[in-house]
Amino acid sequence: MWAFYNGRTQARGKREGREAKSHGGYSKKRLNPMAHRLLVRRIWTLSVKDHRCLPASTSSFSTSLRSSTTPLSLLSPKRTLPRSLPHTSRREVSFNVQDHEDFTERVINSELPVLIDFHAQWCGPCKILGPRLEKAVAKQKGKVAMAKVDIDDHTDLAIEYGVSAVPTVIAMRGGDVIDQFVGIKDDEALDSFVSKLVGQ
Amino acid sequence: MAALCRVRHRWKRTNCIQLLTRNLTGTFDYDLVVIGGGSGGLACSKEAAQLGQKVAVLDYVEPSVKGTKWGIGGTCVNVGCIPKKLMHQAALLGTALKDAQKYGWQITGPISHDWSTMAEAVQNHVRSLNWGHRVQLQDKEVKYLNVKGSLLDEHTVKGLTRTGKEIMLTAKNIVIATGGRPKYPTHIPGAVEHGITSDDIFWLKESPGKTLVVGASYVALECAGFLTGIGLETTVMVRSIPLRGFDQQMAGLVTDYMEAYGTKFSWRSVPKSVDKLSSGVLQVTWTEEQTGKDQRDTFDSVLWAVGRAPETKTLGLEKVGVKLNKESGKILVAADESTSVPNIYAFGDIGEGRPELTPTAIKAGKLLARRLAGQTNELMNYDNVATTVFTPLEYGCVGLSEEEAESRHGKDSIEVYHAFYKPLEFTVAERDASQCYIKVVCKRGGDQRILGLHFTGPNAGEVTQGFAMGFQCGATLTHLKETVGIHPTCAEELTKVNVSKRSGLDATVTGC
Repeated sequence: MWAFYNGRTQARGKREGREAKSHGGYSKKRLNPMAHRLLVRRIWTLSVKDHRCLPASTSSFSTSLRSSTTPLSLLSPKRTLPRSLPHTSRREVSFNVQDHEDFTERVINSELPVLIDFHAQWCGPCKILGPRLEKAVAKQKGKVAMAKVDIDDHTDLAIEYGVSAVPTVIAMRGGDVIDQFVGIKDDEALDSFVSKLVGQ
Repeated sequence: MAALCRVRHRWKRTNCIQLLTRNLTGTFDYDLVVIGGGSGGLACSKEAAQLGQKVAVLDYVEPSVKGTKWGIGGTCVNVGCIPKKLMHQAALLGTALKDAQKYGWQITGPISHDWSTMAEAVQNHVRSLNWGHRVQLQDKEVKYLNVKGSLLDEHTVKGLTRTGKEIMLTAKNIVIATGGRPKYPTHIPGAVEHGITSDDIFWLKESPGKTLVVGASYVALECAGFLTGIGLETTVMVRSIPLRGFDQQMAGLVTDYMEAYGTKFSWRSVPKSVDKLSSGVLQVTWTEEQTGKDQRDTFDSVLWAVGRAPETKTLGLEKVGVKLNKESGKILVAADESTSVPNIYAFGDIGEGRPELTPTAIKAGKLLARRLAGQTNELMNYDNVATTVFTPLEYGCVGLSEEEAESRHGKDSIEVYHAFYKPLEFTVAERDASQCYIKVVCKRGGDQRILGLHFTGPNAGEVTQGFAMGFQCGATLTHLKETVGIHPTCAEELTKVNVSKRSGLDATVTGC
């Protein structure tokens, strides 16, 4: 796990000319996992709503699979997927994260701002939020990307970003966490969240 | 990518060197390493971490013969208590739907059950629990490693990852809480190739269909119970007696109810072989002990519930000197969960003579952690532990069985009070309540201390829990009789027992 931290700093160091910008709100460079968790909890307790999957609770929503996650999640975590070289820009606006390297490449090193959707198969509210997020991202017409992380497939990654309840959505720009929320948001609130990330 | 690889390699080498130096100077990587991330292991490691110890927990699930595997949490969370109770609930709801019509509910079409819907919902809940445990370990700062742990010496644990990589950890104290796994009757041809166990049944994506459950333990009866309840043709094959170790009169009531409600029983039968036919169904041949004749039938699934074996084989215990019970293979432990090796402890299902229950493992684990941290000298009290068997007619009990009480105190020194009652809810539903029964085994004379309490009926677990507290406090029959019942409930019948077996009077409860 420590190797992953190191690896990521290495990769980030490679990106020359990029400075850590302050983006208002939670303006630090990527917070350490502990601070992250405290942050998440603070937001969580502030916005206590019912639309959340707590680790130990079950959802009462339908368990139909999210069609957007099915095709790619069947393929993960195989590394033999043909992938384009790191330098070519990603065409897909919304994608499933395959592994740590994929995350580094397509999320941390992304030229676009990225929404990271931490979700789980067993989480009902995630299945409600998912399509809403897709809609909000589509409205931005390629100005923002969305990375989907299944927390059961990528537990270490989820833990590292302090995810305890799902859905957790993190807004990232230039490898830095700009904003995040836990639970469901309605379309209007999502549009506002995404616009803020894009910088409108 | 290359940078990443280099960094990893450098770290690994440094880490190994650091380990060596630490060993030589006498300090360890961890204060405590727990091998086994089940009910016991997790409770112990989290408690220890909370008390300021540096703890690591190693959890690894060797896939079942059929390839089933699961996440952190152990047997209870993944292939035991939790999915069992949920499927039991699914079956009870089926019965409730049938009763509902008598209560006025208009149910138009035929009622059928879809296994896949239930299985997915149950499996999703289990996965949410896996995640919850993971988060808890993170929050409590317990290092979690998904590796197969084994002992190299009394302070060194080797961990093997799924890909075959080895890691080493040194620890001041080591706790083994690896639990057990279902046994396969390997001497029966076809048993391993064609049968499944409780490790698999909860994770099946498709319905098991017509099922043969071999065994008469609570695992066998509970599984057969919910399979019948959801509408599957189920047969239980019993070699000798049901629920060995439990009060046999109560065990008989449990199986009588199951037979009355549609589970087939093949008594005094021993399976001989399992063959797979070209159609895909399994043909089972068995011997009826009474007649000596061989019988044959076909099933879609065969579920072996013939006992559980402790997970000790790959732990390297012999090398380190941890003694096992030769017959059971479990680790010999003292009252403080210590083994034959000073700083190595073992508890939970793996401990010889310990109840195979989650709550005792959790409590024992917490107390062990506190003792190791020097916070207490309190030992785990394994007496007076209440349990419930979640068969279609649930059976809850605390204390001694009638047989055990007789053997310990003598038949003349005990008084057994009993009653056959009818749950109010069964009346309108026109359900047979012949097996709903209560038994209170007391010491004869004096304050008539309660030695054992037994209850078959709906929600037996909920009923028994409260009485278990009274039992723990040394309740007597007088205490019980002085307790005013809550009306109308099944539990209140316990406060009203007054007919003794000795009197020979009719024990059927009549009206209010």
